[in-house]
Amino acid sequence: MPALATVGGAAGAAGSARRRRPLSRRRHAWVFLAPSAVILAVFVFVPLVSSFVLSGLAIDVFMNDVSFAGLDNFRRLVGDQRVWGATLNTLYFAALAVPAQMVLALAMASMVSRNNRWCRLLRSVYYIPFVCSMTAISIVWSILLDPNMGALSYLTRQLGLGAIGFLKDPALAMPTVVAITTWKGFGYIVTLLSAAILNVPASLDEAAQLDGAGPIRRFVQITVPVIWPTIVFCVVTTTIVSLQVFDQVYIMTKGGPHGSTETLVAYIYNRGFQTAPYDLGYASSIAVYLFAIIAVITFVLRRFVLRRGEDEV
Amino acid sequence: MGGRKTITPGGVVAIVISALVMLAVLAPLLWLFVSSFKSDKEVIAYPPTLLPQDWTLDQFEAVNHSLPIAKMFRNSLIFAGGVTVISLLLDSMAGYAFARLDFKHKKLWFAVVLLTMMVPFQILMTPLYIEEHYMGLLDTFVGLILPRATSAYGIYMMRSFFVRLPVSLEESGRLDGLSEFGIFRRIMLPQCLPALVALGVFHFMNNWNDLLYPLMLTSSTEMRTFSAGLAMLVGNKVIKFGPTLAATLISILPVLVLYMFGQRYFREGIASTGMKE
Repeated sequence: MPALATVGGAAGAAGSARRRRPLSRRRHAWVFLAPSAVILAVFVFVPLVSSFVLSGLAIDVFMNDVSFAGLDNFRRLVGDQRVWGATLNTLYFAALAVPAQMVLALAMASMVSRNNRWCRLLRSVYYIPFVCSMTAISIVWSILLDPNMGALSYLTRQLGLGAIGFLKDPALAMPTVVAITTWKGFGYIVTLLSAAILNVPASLDEAAQLDGAGPIRRFVQITVPVIWPTIVFCVVTTTIVSLQVFDQVYIMTKGGPHGSTETLVAYIYNRGFQTAPYDLGYASSIAVYLFAIIAVITFVLRRFVLRRGEDEV
Repeated sequence: MGGRKTITPGGVVAIVISALVMLAVLAPLLWLFVSSFKSDKEVIAYPPTLLPQDWTLDQFEAVNHSLPIAKMFRNSLIFAGGVTVISLLLDSMAGYAFARLDFKHKKLWFAVVLLTMMVPFQILMTPLYIEEHYMGLLDTFVGLILPRATSAYGIYMMRSFFVRLPVSLEESGRLDGLSEFGIFRRIMLPQCLPALVALGVFHFMNNWNDLLYPLMLTSSTEMRTFSAGLAMLVGNKVIKFGPTLAATLISILPVLVLYMFGQRYFREGIASTGMKE
């Protein structure tokens, strides 16, 4: 709307150009839009629609044997133990990873949201793992955690805990993957939260200080409510990203041990591209199912869980 | 009353904790760095050494023999660089149209574009693969770059920058007799240089680091990007730890160097919407 308003205003002020401009601008608009429109149509809209069609087909990766499967794929999905396992693993991952990252990021943001050199340095260091690829980070950590020769296993042995197979133990593997994800991602959230905290009017904080509120109370009762929209944004985006977790699992555990870290995206990839008979139709129906999970959880989060006061969200 | 500068006990605790967290963030990365300069024997030495006894470039030489590192580097560069350059052009053109040009149902189309931002990649993944199979684009650079050559996020970000520019800028171009495209290229686009750099950094980082997308769309060793290649090769356990570490270090260096010199742009990119692909 603001764009239209300024264009209209300018036309009024510029007099004679008034009649010609809208026409020429209309004629030119498609030149500016065409390349993007074609790409989005071909590589987003067509796949989006065909994803739903595809999930009703039986099709393999070599594009032979295409046949109509109706709701067979979805029926199969309901009875597939691995889908249930992957669903639980995915939810487990998100249930651990989102709070872990949010709590750590909030705690750190409360300490480093000041405009001095030291705090700026800390913020930029926290952000470093985020710019590295999850592939690289996963490789580094899996070597560090190697039970035979990893530096961390050496430490645990020195501490008398013995060699712990962090990624080899079904009970420990997922929490370990979560810890590494948190290590990589919290700095990004700190950056977003700090930007919001630095915008909180100092007068609010000072008033509370005069009332004798300590720093922790001031953070919880003043800062958090003011930056609530940013917190909601971080929780929602972190949740969406967490439900799509793939890279770290693919590299560090391959879904193991005993399927304890196989997530939905890992299973989709496995079904469609890794294990014969490369069942693309079935993979697609699991993707549709994941999409539904993401949509429902995002909706519930925004609508019920993260509600606060009347106006936010 | 505003600036009480006394250091409270709580402040000391905060400094200590935040410094410890900084150490925890840096330690694994520093370990990667120093370990890449260790000899074969030292890499797997137990107990592990903290610093290399003698710094050597052995692993960087070995990595050349055991991994197609030059090819992976080239592939990632062409993929991430290609996406960055082309999408900057297309995103800013489309963003410009949405910000400053008139056409029918503009708001509706913009809403449609934003809607594509909500679609998770996994749902497009399989159909995209089939589509590229029929178009003969699998395992090619065109097939890697084209689907990423524009994005809702980029269009949205560029639009929000173009919207803020004053109308008088356009007017002056029009008085100089520039075409609509000339106004865009000569006058409006240069005004958005910081936004372009921020968006470019964002595109480059995401595509350089991406795993699932290039993993799915490439199949030959010839075409593997750094992430996809490392993921494949590390999995099969034939490569020793030393060269793996050296290759991993090389793979993160380009984005890390970009970050060191252009931190501001990394933050601007995420600050405007904060989306991560």
